[in-house]
Amino acid sequence: MEDRLTKEEVLHVANLARIEIDDKEIEMYQVKLKKLLDQIELVTKIDDNDSDYLIAPWNNNSEFRKDEVGNMLNPKEVLQNAPRKSGNYIEVPVVISNE
Amino acid sequence: MNKYLDLSLQEINNLLINKKITPKDLVIESFERIEANKDLNGFITLNKEAALKRAEDLKDQEVTSLTFGIPIAIKDNIITKNLRTTAGSKMLDNFIPIYDADVIERINEAGMIIIGKANMDEFAMGSSTQTSYYGPTKNPWDKTLVPGGSSGGSAAVVSSRITPIALGSDTGGSIRQPSSFCGIVGLKPTYGRVSRYGLIAFASSLDQIGPMTRNVYENALVLNTICGKSKNDLTSVETNEDFTRLIGKDIKNMKIAIPKFYVNDTIDIEIRQELDNIITLLKENNCVVDYVDIKYIDKAVPLYQIIAMGEASSNLARFDGIRYGYSYENPKDINDLYLKTRKNGFGNEVKRRIMIGSYLLSGKNATTYYNKALAIRDDMRNSFLDIFKNYDLIIGPTATTKAYPLGQDLDDAVKAFMDDILTIPVNMAGLPGMNLPIGFSKDHLPIGMQIIGAPFAEAKIYQLASYIEKELNLDLNPNLGGDDNE
Repeated sequence: MEDRLTKEEVLHVANLARIEIDDKEIEMYQVKLKKLLDQIELVTKIDDNDSDYLIAPWNNNSEFRKDEVGNMLNPKEVLQNAPRKSGNYIEVPVVISNE
Repeated sequence: MNKYLDLSLQEINNLLINKKITPKDLVIESFERIEANKDLNGFITLNKEAALKRAEDLKDQEVTSLTFGIPIAIKDNIITKNLRTTAGSKMLDNFIPIYDADVIERINEAGMIIIGKANMDEFAMGSSTQTSYYGPTKNPWDKTLVPGGSSGGSAAVVSSRITPIALGSDTGGSIRQPSSFCGIVGLKPTYGRVSRYGLIAFASSLDQIGPMTRNVYENALVLNTICGKSKNDLTSVETNEDFTRLIGKDIKNMKIAIPKFYVNDTIDIEIRQELDNIITLLKENNCVVDYVDIKYIDKAVPLYQIIAMGEASSNLARFDGIRYGYSYENPKDINDLYLKTRKNGFGNEVKRRIMIGSYLLSGKNATTYYNKALAIRDDMRNSFLDIFKNYDLIIGPTATTKAYPLGQDLDDAVKAFMDDILTIPVNMAGLPGMNLPIGFSKDHLPIGMQIIGAPFAEAKIYQLASYIEKELNLDLNPNLGGDDNE
């Protein structure tokens, strides 16, 4: 087994995670991510025929609530932590460009 | 300097009721102690002005409970209205919450006073408080050592008697392991016992908020205050009970199980010896103590890595530089904003976990890894529940080691997980688990044991813990103690 991921594999997971990484970091992650993944691989080797999944340990106590207006935050408070804003809106950079 | 904060909550309560002191005296003393322990780095943000004002407001109010007027430290991943909340990350360095977490509303109603926001591993990812953007917290017993983590600030602050109470959070051991390293009582409640509304999510199916205190009784008091159903967390439940009710009750004929894996020889010999003393003590009191097997308990670390990192990658997707938190200044377009905000805003440990988590949940991997882990998790939980059909409680060590030196294995991708090998199974199964100090190593460092209960059996944990605590009568103040009073 290789002791490191390929450069392409690291760039693939960094892209999935939306985290930019530079060349030096790629080298670091080639080794460190591989170490973690090797450990995780152990789970796939467990012979388990349980077909039930435990997603979370609570008993399902979902319930409907009444459809009524509760406490609302005011826009000024909501926007207080926004890095860019314009009036009562949060500003977002270009999503679709012509280029 | 006054020493009111070395007194028990009952003693402080008497002084408050008889007007010998006011809440302000306690707040002032807390801040004096912070000043005297500056090198500890237990807090990220202090709340001095607001705390003094609140103490003033409480002065003429009726003393309603044992926690009234008591200073408390809050782990910095629990949001506090108008008080900066960073989760130990540069990503939230400028974040001022606009509402309170459910537990904060409850502690405010009970008359407690927030002194500050306690240091922690970034987004609770770590077990030594060294991944904090705000520098590591030191262990009050030896300032060259780590306090454990991720609730290391909370543990160090309570241990050094700066506040009698702190709140922590526990996803894989983050309350219990630092409590063990710092010699305090820390409880991770049953999943659902305490509302997670306002807890900055790491792994939502594992996270729980819990009390960290100097002794067992005070721990139960704080759980009384913070537990209960909240309409904003549908996994939270209401049971209406007093967690102190079994404290002091006889433990004769209790049936105790010890997983064989919890006494394996990778665990520090001094820790195993202290646990042996407890086993002897329990047997002398006609408790049954048996060794048992729990399915997949030895595989808990990789299992946790899949589930916790998968959930983390999903939870931390919200840090996109748009609505709050750090934002890269001059992005070309929205993708550039995501990439550079997350590159600059997250630390290494967090980035690693998000990347692995994203990978594990992508495409076919979701079946290979995540679904497989959920199936094994179900089996492990059932195996725990089977044990509780025949036994009252499970015990074992909390950690495999004592506190270790700052800087050791700092950037080791695997080390932080191995620290939690004995605590992770409890989160996987959603059970309540406590760290109880049971002695000291030759070099005067605290050693802790873990007491694990069936779902919602916290009162029984407190019953056993209070018995052992009383029998051992340890001096757990690092400024004074460090010896077995045998």
